[in-house]
Amino acid sequence: MRTLQFTFPATARAAHRAHVGVVGSGDLEILFEPADAVSATVRVRTSVEGFDEVWQATLGRFFARVPLAGSWELNDAAATPALVTLRLQQAAQAAGSDASASHPSTLEAS
Amino acid sequence: MTAAPTEVPATDTAALLLGASVDGGPVDWSRVLRRRSFLELDALARAEALLDGHDARVLCGPFDRLESPWLAPQEVTPQADDGVVVARGVIGGAQAVVVSIEQAFQGGGVGEVSGAKISQALRLAAADSRAGRPVPAVLLLETGGVRLQEANLGLNAVAEICAALLELRPLAPVIGVVAGSVGSFGGLSIATGLCTHVIVTPEARIGLNGPAVIEQEAGVAEFDSGDQALIWAVDGGEQRRRTGLADALVIDDADAVRDAVRRALAAGVTAPGRHRSERLDVLDARLATVDPADPPEPLRLRTLWGQAYEPPPGPALAPRRGRDVRPRAGGTRSSMAAGERGRTWTAALAGTPPQQVIPSVLRADRDDTVLLAVVPDPDNHFYRARQGQVGLTECAALARTLRAITAEDGGREQRRAIVAVVDLPSQAYGRIEEMAGLHQAIAAAVDAADAARVAGHPLVTLVVGKALSGGFLAHGLQSSQILALDDPGVEIHAMHKAAAARITLRTVEQLDELAKSIPPLSYDVRQWATLGFCDGLLTVTDADNPTDADVRTVRAAIAEAVTRARSGPTDLSHRLDSAQAVRVRAASRAVRDALAAQWPAS
Repeated sequence: MRTLQFTFPATARAAHRAHVGVVGSGDLEILFEPADAVSATVRVRTSVEGFDEVWQATLGRFFARVPLAGSWELNDAAATPALVTLRLQQAAQAAGSDASASHPSTLEAS
Repeated sequence: MTAAPTEVPATDTAALLLGASVDGGPVDWSRVLRRRSFLELDALARAEALLDGHDARVLCGPFDRLESPWLAPQEVTPQADDGVVVARGVIGGAQAVVVSIEQAFQGGGVGEVSGAKISQALRLAAADSRAGRPVPAVLLLETGGVRLQEANLGLNAVAEICAALLELRPLAPVIGVVAGSVGSFGGLSIATGLCTHVIVTPEARIGLNGPAVIEQEAGVAEFDSGDQALIWAVDGGEQRRRTGLADALVIDDADAVRDAVRRALAAGVTAPGRHRSERLDVLDARLATVDPADPPEPLRLRTLWGQAYEPPPGPALAPRRGRDVRPRAGGTRSSMAAGERGRTWTAALAGTPPQQVIPSVLRADRDDTVLLAVVPDPDNHFYRARQGQVGLTECAALARTLRAITAEDGGREQRRAIVAVVDLPSQAYGRIEEMAGLHQAIAAAVDAADAARVAGHPLVTLVVGKALSGGFLAHGLQSSQILALDDPGVEIHAMHKAAAARITLRTVEQLDELAKSIPPLSYDVRQWATLGFCDGLLTVTDADNPTDADVRTVRAAIAEAVTRARSGPTDLSHRLDSAQAVRVRAASRAVRDALAAQWPAS
């Protein structure tokens, strides 16, 4: 298992915390807690090694579009980048973020 | 619109209820479209589907971050709620707690934290129920059994879940729901066998040993795990219902499952003595109709046994004994070595030759103590239990003996101590065992042991050799006190080493290396003794042929354990209160405290 830490600039606010997904094969769970901050701090724990750059790229693309401030915890069991993006989007929506609603094209862009 | 369909009467009718075409008839699209699959829901959504208004108050949820402390050190990503949803809410207008296992995480395997969540939820429900505020429980059991990465802590968790379930069951109903897809296997299938009422779908499976592990242990002739039809013929929900091992069969529809749960809750508790796991008359009579050398086909069992859990009308067969009793189809091959320590120690401690309850279950009486052991019987007609495995008839014999002792001592001032002498390689892995419902037989043994303990019998386990998996759950893990010999031949675990290595994708060497830093994984009894439920590690000079001094040492230790048991609790709560548990089972204790704090209904 590998633990990765990322920080992205983030200014958008969410109403509440959110939990989506499951640590099942090919899937991941996300715990998001909003914070009155200027960044999104992301901790990824993944069962697969050697994909640090893919994580950086996938997360970077998401937070460029949905800059939701707070703490993000991703517990991953080998999800594909597309599914990671989908779960991030679901978490943002479940958290009541305006940012997620204004970027419906996130999935296509990934 | 008609009400949601309930009991599934027959295959064609089931298809009609689903809206499917039968014999070229029309498809009922309104039914097809109306149906909402229960199977496709995750653990939380399944729980919500059962609760009035889909209103679930989740206790110890993901943001409490009560995750397993044992997975990350093994390079396995943990889940924030450890894969068990505990939800308070209302079902049919009355308070209830729903415990739902997330099968996508680690195959629903029970670890320290997930197990503690289940047992503590049941205990809190029991406490409320005792105080006049009944809280029935609904258990959604999709699980492969004990999570092998947490081995001994998972195995113990199952024992605690069973004890907690039995604490609640007389006070409020405990409804088991096995909807599919993982099914209910391994240790928690025993809990399924203890439930007040079991609801299944045709997609459900219930069994002690899964097909793959049977094939691995006994060969493809015994169980072809690639044969889907065979798997469902043996373990499938409809078969379990038709043979009386489940109480309701419903289609995969969220409303149908919810309605079945409501009906089961409305029926309330079952009268004492009438639970399936208490019906030793039925267990005995059913087993007497099965000749392992010429077993009935699974379909035939439906008429032979019937779907009411009552003694079957068919004649009892005289058991054919002898090592030449071989199955028509099946395998007598076993990787397990027969151990003689159970027999040796039982005789030595009693000072007299033990009696045979059946040839593979020995009993010896000395003063105010009854010793019980499961031993090898090379002539066992159930050929999968010849090396001392705990099989169908062993469970029945254990349960019958424990019930008899409990009944006999009802009028005595002080109940006798019961000592489980344990050297058993495992539970029996076999096709006939699964067809006949080994999980149900083990549930009978567990129920009887729990009942003896709750009645006030000091229950002491003495591990003198191997104590593995379901065998140990059936014989030993319900005791108030557990002693073990400090000897390299003593091995306590959830699965024998080679199989555990295979299933966790490791070599035996890797497993041994990992076990040095992760105590619940270890096969070393000294490591096991650090987990919080060892009440004494006894030094002897010869564990195979005990000397007189060895026997004196162990007798003294048993006497002390009996004294402690008499003054201690009659449940298993002290396993969380020991000095070792405070250190090693900190996560279980955190679950216990957090769940209690979040429990009160608003």
